[in-house]
Amino acid sequence: MNLDRQFQQLIEGEIKYQSANLSLNLLISRLQRKYSSSQTPAEMQQCLQEMKAFFEKYASIVAKDAEALSKL
Amino acid sequence: MFVTLEEAKKLIEQGKVLHIAGDEDLLAQLPRGNWIGGTTPYFITDEGGITCKDKLFVNEIAAAVECKTAVYDKSNVLNISQDAYANGLSLLVMPFASEVAICYAQKAPDADDILMNPTIGWISGYDLSAGGSAKAYDGLTGSVYADKAVALHIALPEDKLAVIGIVNIFDRDDNGPKIEFMEDTLSVKTCLVDGREVVLADYLAEHNINTKLPLVADYNSVLVNVSIKDVSEDSKTVDFYAPVFAGKEYRFATPVNDYAASFAEHLQGMAGVKPVFSCNCILNYLYGELDGKATPPFAGPVTFGEVAYQLLNQTLVYAEIIDK
Repeated sequence: MNLDRQFQQLIEGEIKYQSANLSLNLLISRLQRKYSSSQTPAEMQQCLQEMKAFFEKYASIVAKDAEALSKL
Repeated sequence: MFVTLEEAKKLIEQGKVLHIAGDEDLLAQLPRGNWIGGTTPYFITDEGGITCKDKLFVNEIAAAVECKTAVYDKSNVLNISQDAYANGLSLLVMPFASEVAICYAQKAPDADDILMNPTIGWISGYDLSAGGSAKAYDGLTGSVYADKAVALHIALPEDKLAVIGIVNIFDRDDNGPKIEFMEDTLSVKTCLVDGREVVLADYLAEHNINTKLPLVADYNSVLVNVSIKDVSEDSKTVDFYAPVFAGKEYRFATPVNDYAASFAEHLQGMAGVKPVFSCNCILNYLYGELDGKATPPFAGPVTFGEVAYQLLNQTLVYAEIIDK
């Protein structure tokens, strides 16, 4: 499932998504702060990479989050 | 488990992987083994809050398949995530007011990969009525530190996963003033209140703000507290127990009249949680008069700061090990 568009919009603050998972919420908050301080394509790529790595590692506990994000 | 020194020794000698909290006189008598620990004389046991120097609070991480300890100072504490097992849990103890604890508090939220590996922990403390010093213990080497952090990295079986959670009884007063800070700091003189620069110490006094209530910021729906440590009328500085960060919006918390009842309300629906470790803040214990009051299903040391990836204040944090 490709969620790049949703991840990017989340990081830019264009869409909102609140998870039941503490670490995912902290990650979204962290990446939003990181990107807002340096809004470059390179920074966005780094943020996307981090988000995707998290979703890959924790696929079993963020499956519902992935499904919900896919519908945004 | 709230156990005697002899019981704790037996658990260590059995080779169990343990986290141990208690008074330094007891911790100093423990043999080497697969454990880390920290000092505090305050606990919330299954029977309720208690100040005790005769027993230790021991958490066994039964699911551990391998473990290692690591010692950190301010130059390398952010390596904690790199040192963790690929599928594991890291427990971290940092002495109160140590440089390593201050560094972690300031830098962990922005550290690369900090959220990729579950990290839970606490700031160790001491008896506030008697004084003393906070310490962290590496049971594997038998070393004790007042100025370094100690981590226990635990590897879990492939079919298990560690999950970290928090319980924060404080809500943000979204009708109250918006507070913003111009820099990441543990101590401020001025800040913005609804966009206007004020001397925070004066603002707190003029508006009769209850400084037992934390400032609260929203981290994508996670409410994170920053507790007020001291307000100096002389220097007009306000010190915090955790950093405030530029770019975050803070509001004062709405008052909590009954901490025990509020915890009970927040913990409804969590009876099925089986924490392998949890801790709760000394400020909740003191302000909330939690002596004799329990917070099931959570029991554990009462701490001078809590870590759930980053430093938190006035929060209960916990780790669970679940099936993937």
